[in-house]
Amino acid sequence: MEKTLAKDIGFWVMLGIGLAVMFIGPMVWGLFEIMQITQYVVLSVYALSLAYIWGFGGILSFGQAAFFGLGAYTFAVASINIGETTVPFALSFLLPAAFGAALGYFMFYGRLSDVYLGVVTMVVTLIFWKLINHTAGPEYSIGAARLGGFNGIPSIPILNVPGDAKAWLDPAQMFQAFMGILIIVYLCLRLIIASDFGRVSVGIRENETRASLLGYDIRRHKVIIFAIGSGIAGMSGAMWATYQTFIDPNAFSMEMSAKALVWVMAGGVGTLAGPILAVILLQWLSLKLGTMHILNNYFILGAILMGLVLLLPRGLLPSLRLLAERLWHLGRQKMDASAASRKATSDV
Amino acid sequence: MSDAHILTTEKLVMQFGGVTAVDNVDFSLKEGELRCLLGPNGAGKSTFFKCLTGQLTPTSGTIKLRGADITGWNTHDIVNLGVGIKTQVPNLFNGISVYENIRMAARRKHLKPMAKEKAEQMMEKCGVSHLARREVGLLAHGQRQLVELAMVLAEEPPLVLLDEPAAGMTGDERDRLADLVLETARSAAVIVVEHDMAFIRRIAKFVTVFNRGAIFREAMIDEILSDRAVQEIYLGKQADVAA
Amino acid sequence: MDYVLIIVIEMLRAISWLVLLASGLAIIFGMMRVINFAHGEFLMLGGYITIMSHNAGVNLWIAMLVLAPLCVGIFGILVERFIIRFLYGRILDSLLATWGLSLLMVGGVTLVFGNTVQGVSTPLGGVSIGAYQVPFYNFVLIGFAAVLMLAIWSVLKFTKAGLIARATMQNPDMAETLGIRTSWVYMATFGIGSAVTGLAGGLLAPLTGVVPSMGVNFVGQSFITVITGGASMIAGTLSASTLLGTISQGMTFLTGPVYGDAALLLTALVLLRVLPQGITGRIFKKSL
Repeated sequence: MEKTLAKDIGFWVMLGIGLAVMFIGPMVWGLFEIMQITQYVVLSVYALSLAYIWGFGGILSFGQAAFFGLGAYTFAVASINIGETTVPFALSFLLPAAFGAALGYFMFYGRLSDVYLGVVTMVVTLIFWKLINHTAGPEYSIGAARLGGFNGIPSIPILNVPGDAKAWLDPAQMFQAFMGILIIVYLCLRLIIASDFGRVSVGIRENETRASLLGYDIRRHKVIIFAIGSGIAGMSGAMWATYQTFIDPNAFSMEMSAKALVWVMAGGVGTLAGPILAVILLQWLSLKLGTMHILNNYFILGAILMGLVLLLPRGLLPSLRLLAERLWHLGRQKMDASAASRKATSDV
Repeated sequence: MSDAHILTTEKLVMQFGGVTAVDNVDFSLKEGELRCLLGPNGAGKSTFFKCLTGQLTPTSGTIKLRGADITGWNTHDIVNLGVGIKTQVPNLFNGISVYENIRMAARRKHLKPMAKEKAEQMMEKCGVSHLARREVGLLAHGQRQLVELAMVLAEEPPLVLLDEPAAGMTGDERDRLADLVLETARSAAVIVVEHDMAFIRRIAKFVTVFNRGAIFREAMIDEILSDRAVQEIYLGKQADVAA
Repeated sequence: MDYVLIIVIEMLRAISWLVLLASGLAIIFGMMRVINFAHGEFLMLGGYITIMSHNAGVNLWIAMLVLAPLCVGIFGILVERFIIRFLYGRILDSLLATWGLSLLMVGGVTLVFGNTVQGVSTPLGGVSIGAYQVPFYNFVLIGFAAVLMLAIWSVLKFTKAGLIARATMQNPDMAETLGIRTSWVYMATFGIGSAVTGLAGGLLAPLTGVVPSMGVNFVGQSFITVITGGASMIAGTLSASTLLGTISQGMTFLTGPVYGDAALLLTALVLLRVLPQGITGRIFKKSL
């Protein structure tokens, strides 16, 4: 009766593709492709963070970059100070999650409306961006790590094998590690969504009044969802930092928040696979357009965002599904019709 | 002894701007009692319910549930103390199935395997088993009422509030509902707001009549039905139409 | 004594600054419950129009006070007709669309004018107060903020257009049944809100210069002011500007400008935790 995860074909397909890419990828791709695809993987984790809170918690955040950046800077500062990357990586999940919980407390316990929520999340990101841009002076250091203001933090350590600070991952290993993280995040989110907690989240998204009339504490629920999303976004920030070995305030930029929204919208709100596809498609597209040097990133991003809202509000994946269904019905109708007409002609 | 009362309100007032929707209501309900609330549209019955469930915070006055002062509490805290409400317009999770809706309610009080059983039991009881996999948003009004009733009963609250449960129901559904209400009243206190006289006559004993936000009369049903003043404010209109 | 006077003037300037920045946004929010996420870029547009037309030989005051509001107002009407109109009732989508517009405008202006700062010198020079020198332009800002508030108030209170606006604000469906074309009201509102924002952009252009990404520096303050104020245009903007302007200016005196914004946000969050609808959601409820 219940639609369990184990019976969902889409889930197994995604998992299969993920594992195949993880293990076969490094054998068939060259170094350049591996590096490129690693980028997609990191950004997919980031996209999933918003896909979850928006699609399955009904929380539209305009400031996902705040947590992405916070995670990236947490990882950078901690790994430079500690000299290894396992603890910093964990911190890059925990600190943004804690910050998300604190911010969520103010927003959800204050019962802010959707518009206010959007504004607050955006302003938080703006302020992070501003503050971090002003930390250029040497007095802004945390331990051995200088924040560097708009210059960013250079020479961030590459991820090492847990427990062995000298065993850095080579690009292929890092790709596999990140691919593994993506699969785990996807798996965990699917499990959460299928759990009682996840069902209640969907219930809250559908009807907050009924959820609270059943005795569910909506506010606490939303804070938890928001914190999970924030933690995942923070972790993707850390992945970004170690992948680039460099981080600058652009991690906190409007562009970064907008990208997450565009991916989720393009992929379809309420799906997890869609946003991943959108990351690959749109990043590849912007790479191609970027090399043309006619249009800048902001222009393209803004145009896509507006286009999506006005023309494709359901997103790519659900729209494609709808289109396929319509074509299928149309095709069947046509076949029925032609069958009927053939019958008719044979009668005559 | 006041603890024989499951619910008491004292001088309850709810104002919206200049409008007083609930006006100085002193109401009390015994454990296990079945009470009907009557009154014309706009008499303040639904607003009164919303105050009881914490969806509205009363302007003044107090509400006590089993001796605890719940005035100003959060809705979910009040519900967890033991109130279940079927709202006037059914509040359901439209995008998901009937079974999932009811299970979500059953899960509040039961562990996982029990919740499944309980949900199936409630669907059976409310006669919506054949709709189990249907999306709630696509159901007829009467069916939605039954689904919401199943959700409320699945939590087994000691106080059940039913706001116009019979609206939009077919004759069969209405009969089933009357039986359900009477059965529920054997183990819980129930307040029913309803306009359907045939339905009320079937279930009611003691009745409270609301008018303009205040309690107008409290008496046994037969007495109410023969009360001229009540007829004038409420039934009178129907009598006129009939005549 | 002089120092106290200076502080008072600085406080007034900070408050007026917020009033100017937020009024256009507040007009649109008050009427339509929509936050224009491209607000910063509307300011930027006003600034560019001022500076570009000044460079082309137009008198600075005319560019600032006439051209900037006019052009941005017309631009606003176009935006309403081509974008916002299709998204009424879908508030989140209108936020997303205006944000897309904001990015598009940053990108577009960068493409046209390049990513460089352009500016004019601040007009009017300074006034001496005791041993201190205060730019006379500060008084212009304070004056305009006061005039703007007064103007919005009188329009809403005393004119037929204001009556229609208030009716639509209170109950759009009812207004529609009374024969008011609410869609025109919204178009006009968006146009006027944009024009006010254009004026603010024009006024700030000589102070900050213009650069395509400048909007980012002001939207934070504008948004916080509007959501802290709540839905009432005048009472909300005034009360929030006064409170937040005082706090941010206080913080600036104490720690420098960087933490001013952070202090603003923190105040706003604490306030919204207590008053989720903003100040005018609870207090001054019936005011304009």
